[in-house]
Amino acid sequence: MAQAMGFFTDTTVCIGCKACQVACHQWNGLPAELAQQPTATTPGKALPITGNSYDNTGSFSDVNWRHVKFIEKSAHPDRSDLAWLMMSDVCKHCVNAPCLEVCPTGAILRTEFDSVYIQQSACNGCRACVSACPFGVIHMGGTENAGQGTAKKCTLCYDRLQNGLQPACAAACPTASIQFGLIEDLKARAQKRVVALKAAGQTQAWLYGADERILGGLNAFYLLVDEPETYGLPRNPQLPSRSVRASSLVSIGSAILMGLAALVSFRRRGEEHD
Amino acid sequence: MTHSTVAPGWEWWVVWYFFLGGLAAGLYFIAALIELVGSERDREMAQVSYYLAFPLALVCGVLLILDLGRPERFWHMLIQSETGRLMFKYWSPISVGAWTLTVFGGLAFLSFIGVLAEHGRAGLGRFRGLVRTLHSGPVGVGFSLLCAGVGFFVASYTGVLLTASNQPFWSDTRLIGGLFLASAAATSTALMLLLRLLWAAPASLVRLQRVNSWALGLELLLLVSFLLSLGALATPLLQSSHGMMLIVVTGLLGLVLPLMLRLVRGPSTWVTVLSCLLVLLGGFEMRYSILMVAQHLVVAGR
Repeated sequence: MAQAMGFFTDTTVCIGCKACQVACHQWNGLPAELAQQPTATTPGKALPITGNSYDNTGSFSDVNWRHVKFIEKSAHPDRSDLAWLMMSDVCKHCVNAPCLEVCPTGAILRTEFDSVYIQQSACNGCRACVSACPFGVIHMGGTENAGQGTAKKCTLCYDRLQNGLQPACAAACPTASIQFGLIEDLKARAQKRVVALKAAGQTQAWLYGADERILGGLNAFYLLVDEPETYGLPRNPQLPSRSVRASSLVSIGSAILMGLAALVSFRRRGEEHD
Repeated sequence: MTHSTVAPGWEWWVVWYFFLGGLAAGLYFIAALIELVGSERDREMAQVSYYLAFPLALVCGVLLILDLGRPERFWHMLIQSETGRLMFKYWSPISVGAWTLTVFGGLAFLSFIGVLAEHGRAGLGRFRGLVRTLHSGPVGVGFSLLCAGVGFFVASYTGVLLTASNQPFWSDTRLIGGLFLASAAATSTALMLLLRLLWAAPASLVRLQRVNSWALGLELLLLVSFLLSLGALATPLLQSSHGMMLIVVTGLLGLVLPLMLRLVRGPSTWVTVLSCLLVLLGGFEMRYSILMVAQHLVVAGR
């Protein structure tokens, strides 16, 4: 297997230009999509603007495999101290991937680049991966162009990697916020960047997903300057299998109790004359 | 802000599968337990259950296939589409569930055919002796144990499948599998009691009611434990319409009221009919609420 490859996203230099989103759409032939901000009364209704800062896509979707977040931070009610955090989000290509763990068809597999890839011809649309992903990355294809009824997400431009190219989003990023390369090289580069930022006074800089604490490591990890929740990232995402043993034991206990109930109830032969 | 998780969109097909699958599995394991420990009088009740379990299992299979994004690829759950090899992941509840449901369908079919043979229907009467042989001795005990085990699994794995996720509510408890199993026992015995009244099937009423009451008690205990196990998430659940329905329709109408009616009014016909209908309603509502609340209620982390 080739060495693990992936993304280091330095959110401190993201300018929110969305070139990565455009490049992703262009290379992968994904159609444009108006923002979808479901409400309680109009679930799935498409609106022309999100009303959420300069975010015009709102979230990941079957055709938005990258999503540039515009996070507005303000401690004052009059928002006079408004500041933006920007972050180009993508599939994390987890080392221990929840989606890959639960997929019952084998459609989700790990490539020679250590990325997580959904084989469209094998996916049958059961949506277990959607339920398992702690980052909300995977969506079901709902349009003909995107391929109907199967799970969709970033492929880490598998076709480009096979031909010696870097992913389209990283190639398009004008500020090197999205950097692509060997994971080990990226980690070393990211550590240096954190040290430099701290020396420059940005003491909150840290790396999310660069070590093994989060799902064994993320092959798309981030330099953040705030808590993960601020960026809409889970603090401590877990594998779905963490609950199987305990849940199974509870089920077995319930089965034993019902078996005993049947034994006590049905074995008293001849007592009732109904 | 983008939510951390996305709802899988398991809606009405899955709600009905969870309910009917629970009924099929419950009917099957109760019938298998009757075969194991019950008297000859109770066997007729088991036979009625076998008549129902197989058609219900078939309906469940159809519901699950219809829920897929690509229904024509349902067989990918069992066979790798690219290699033709068996597809099985023992660590994935949905994979194990797909296989066990297939085995369950096969066993339910055998039991269905067996009852037809015992009753001399569909030209299968000549196999009556063979069926009786298979139902007796160590072979019969082994077969019934297998059937009960598979029935228990089908009744509970759907709950384990929900907890093996990263969805709010589902992944915050370990009790949904046990809750679904107790509900399967409660709803299936309720259905058996109703059929006993309608078809005037023989003498299992008191014993069946006893099992039903045990199941209701266990389900009530697990429902309360489920709510407690959610911790801080119990508050948004209880403030939602799904949570209110869970408490009122499942907890009060579907569990507490049937138990109270039996205690206060005794086992009269109207009490049996009313309590069984309420138990079935509560069992359906419980699955509906648990499935929908995680997918429709906006909470922190979603």
